[in-house]
Amino acid sequence: MDIITTQPVSSGNSDVFDTLKGFITEVIGEEFMEDLDITPQSSFTKDLEMDSIEIVAFSEKVKTHFGEQIDFTGWLSSMDLDELIALNLDDIISYIQHARH
Amino acid sequence: MHKYLFVVPPFFGHISPTLSVGASLLQRGHQVAWTGLIPLDDSHIPKGGEYILPTDELAMHQEEITRILRRQDDGPRLSGAETWKLALEETYIPFCRIMMNGLERVVDDYAPDVIISDCITFAGGLCAYKKQIPYVTSTPVPPDIGGQHIDALRVMEWQSKLMYDLQRSVGIDAPNLVIHSQKLNIVFTSSEFAAIENPEPHMRFVGPVKGRPNDVPFDWQRLENATGPKVFVSLGTLLEDIREAYFAKLVEAFANEPVTIIAATNPKIRDSWPANFIVQGFVPQAQLMPHMDVVICHGGFNTVNDAFANGLPMLITPIAYDHFHTAGLIEKAGCGIKIRYKRLRIADLRYALWQLIANDAYRQNAMRIGQSFTAAGGNERAVQLLEDFAIASPENGELVV
Repeated sequence: MDIITTQPVSSGNSDVFDTLKGFITEVIGEEFMEDLDITPQSSFTKDLEMDSIEIVAFSEKVKTHFGEQIDFTGWLSSMDLDELIALNLDDIISYIQHARH
Repeated sequence: MHKYLFVVPPFFGHISPTLSVGASLLQRGHQVAWTGLIPLDDSHIPKGGEYILPTDELAMHQEEITRILRRQDDGPRLSGAETWKLALEETYIPFCRIMMNGLERVVDDYAPDVIISDCITFAGGLCAYKKQIPYVTSTPVPPDIGGQHIDALRVMEWQSKLMYDLQRSVGIDAPNLVIHSQKLNIVFTSSEFAAIENPEPHMRFVGPVKGRPNDVPFDWQRLENATGPKVFVSLGTLLEDIREAYFAKLVEAFANEPVTIIAATNPKIRDSWPANFIVQGFVPQAQLMPHMDVVICHGGFNTVNDAFANGLPMLITPIAYDHFHTAGLIEKAGCGIKIRYKRLRIADLRYALWQLIANDAYRQNAMRIGQSFTAAGGNERAVQLLEDFAIASPENGELVV
């Protein structure tokens, strides 16, 4: 995969973060968000306990919102297991910023 | 008459069908032995069979075996990708390395005509290949042949690399993977349920094999007096850590509903149970099933097979491991509703249960799958395949590996 350098969270990134957080809430449900303290470092599989169906639903929302050039699922399928386990929100914010340029 | 050796992992769900098929082979006059990596109580071994444990070779690995077995309890806390790693890197491959030496000695001493190795005890296939003994793979659950996961391709790549490395590390330099038999793989479900339309010719689906009779006492009178639809709930024998939380949700969902819940779990996990819950630690499951209307379970194969045998719709709450695959297949076949345990809402539980009761299609579909299990042939078919395999194999000088 392309290694995307993690940029410091700027104000633009924090908007993206809030948008993503909203998508996550829609996908996994408000009641399951209560126990979760979502930060840019939250990992998808471990912290948010998202399964592949939820990740696909999430990526559809990302695509609709940020544009068709965001091939989130394709990006994920290029990762190996360790990268998938480590994947966090910050990685996705960077990916979106990168893909939009 | 032939000599068969089963190689089994220390998980009862995998051992169980081999005991059933082994008993049938013994009845036909064959010699049958089992080997594994932890002791197995004699009471499990069918009359005339033997369990051979290479105690000396395993002695130095005791700590590691205990650690690996304990690590399995972490399953419910792991993500899908981590579960793959737990299975292959932390369980199957270490088991293979631990078993190899002792197994080779057992095979030399016992000199079987055919080795039947469970799909996760890689040592069985590798040892048979090395010693040029015909071998069969036994697969207790529907094989998960990828394609549904985002990570499917990379997982396959990673998996086959690890398996090739393992082969080479025991001195096998084959151009293909030999861990699993390419001649005969007996799968204990139907191809219809496994949703594999054109299986490779060596994959033979025989359906579930006979369970062992169990006549544990049960309060049948109380069941007879119970009103409303009857719902059987089982979490299997593992998953101790989450039992309390799981049943707390069921109590919240169904304490005030006009149903009777028959729960197979130790009653002591709660101080009190609602009046419509009949709770017992160990139950005569096969005898209970014909009296039930719906089954709630996590997707463990014993309960799923019993439910299908009785044409019962299922509410599946997958927790870990292969539960997700099984739950997906049940939903796909129209036999039930799946709610992931991590996202279990009380309202959804109730709604799903009443859907399963109200909509007869679930029951019809469950009966259809049950019929496909019966048609697959069970014990008789498995024995026939194993006998034909033994006859076709060695003396003729045909290379069967």
